[in-house]
Amino acid sequence: MTALDVDGVSKVFRRRRRDVTALDSVDLHVEAGELVCLVGASGCGKSTMLSIIGGLDEATTGEVRVDGERVVGPGADRGMVFQGYSLYPWKTVADNIGFGLEVGGWPKAKRLERIDELLGVVGLTDFKDALPRELSGGMKQRVAIARALAPEPDVLLLDEPFGALDAHTKRHLQDFLLTVWRSLGVTILMVTHDVDEAIYLSSRIYVMSAHPGRIAEEIDVPFGQARGPLIKRDPRFLDLRDELNDMIG
Amino acid sequence: MEATAPVRGERERVERSVDETGRSKSVTTAVRGRRQSSLLRIRGELGLGWKIGLGALGVAAFITLWAVKAHLMHQKSVLPTPAATWSALLELKSDGILSTDLWASLQRVLIGYSISVAIGMVVGIAIGTFASVEAFFEAQIGFLRYIPATALTPVFLLLLGLDEAPKIWLIIVGTVFYNILMIADVARAVPRELLNASYTLGAGRITVLRRVILRHSAPGIIDVARINLAAAWLMLVVAEILAAKQGLAYQVVRAQRFRAVDKMFAILLVFGLIGLASDVLLRWLRNVSSPWARP
Repeated sequence: MTALDVDGVSKVFRRRRRDVTALDSVDLHVEAGELVCLVGASGCGKSTMLSIIGGLDEATTGEVRVDGERVVGPGADRGMVFQGYSLYPWKTVADNIGFGLEVGGWPKAKRLERIDELLGVVGLTDFKDALPRELSGGMKQRVAIARALAPEPDVLLLDEPFGALDAHTKRHLQDFLLTVWRSLGVTILMVTHDVDEAIYLSSRIYVMSAHPGRIAEEIDVPFGQARGPLIKRDPRFLDLRDELNDMIG
Repeated sequence: MEATAPVRGERERVERSVDETGRSKSVTTAVRGRRQSSLLRIRGELGLGWKIGLGALGVAAFITLWAVKAHLMHQKSVLPTPAATWSALLELKSDGILSTDLWASLQRVLIGYSISVAIGMVVGIAIGTFASVEAFFEAQIGFLRYIPATALTPVFLLLLGLDEAPKIWLIIVGTVFYNILMIADVARAVPRELLNASYTLGAGRITVLRRVILRHSAPGIIDVARINLAAAWLMLVVAEILAAKQGLAYQVVRAQRFRAVDKMFAILLVFGLIGLASDVLLRWLRNVSSPWARP
């Protein structure tokens, strides 16, 4: 079943001199339980696309549907993770994770149970009382992912979540994301400019071209669910990487 | 192309070293770069000992300068010595004048400035949050803030009489626009990603306003209140000089009539001490209420 449908979405920014088309009739879909990446050069409109799916931005034409229902605004059914600076600095790790549950009116006992479960999933049980400023960049993003997952969203939207991390932490978190995805079976759409990351993580890749932002290509990644760091040396991985890098330019 | 010469030290340094025979001798070594003095390094860190020491030295220098100047004055009645000021302060305190006038002034500032900060919070956060509210207020506040509040003193006296109301109004008018504009900036500084994350966690606008914008702004609001408090005291003094039957500034004027400069200076001392105390108190409040924002 299709979890997420984007149907002919265009986005035009009205400027004083001329209109700028950021997105030009974008179609894409994500099946339930799939992990799909949207790659493209910076400025191609991929983040705008994600904001529209998240309901934070409005499409000029076209529509977004989640489980067949039309998106008109933001909601906890589409959890989002941003590049950085999005944790509540005054809340502990546990309270950050619990915010969506509190707002969603979960009873306290269930809330605490869910927070404990997610702390275990992201491996931060020992840091549940820490403030974000006491955490490393990688830990912060793990909290952000746990917080987005807490209200049990239908789709998890990731906007360059590892873009601000160093190479080592980034690799670590990519494996972490794969583990979370496999164990929880969540549907994930992730925006990235990192081609290696897209191939390593996803089962399908949408490649976007810029000016105006269009889907240039849809690529099936030839690796199954049981993938590990070894595939990065697979000739198919290397070929695909060159192909994608050429496309993005 | 010219070869770049390496950056040389300002001079060759002479260092003492001990050779194999145990004799000390001077060795000259070339050095690169310039050494910086630890006290005058731009944005340098300073040890706690130096901080306290230099602070104490500054205060001591000020008092010494004051004492020397006072002793050299021909006319002793123009500048009292620090000692005379201190004994005048003790005298004011034992006479009970200090506590009644201090309380009168403190009360005016507390009432007036609390109202000013409350208005500043409501209007400032609304301006920093909603483009519509900003558009509504921008022009009028931009105009009103440039009218010197002190110029309104006669108007307030005319309209409101001689009791407490005009003094409190003057404090409000003299500080509220600064509070509004600075708190609006504090509200604007809430990262957009924090708001977006909240929406995608299911929070509505009221929740975001109350639990994200207001909470994130809290330490900034306390800072704004602390900075503008000085303006509130300024307005109080203007009001009390013009029309008051008690208050610290009224006592200054009264002391002038009796040429009691030591008393005048004693009250100036009180102003400074109140300012210092409120500064420390508000910094403490900020750090205790928002430990996450501690620098």
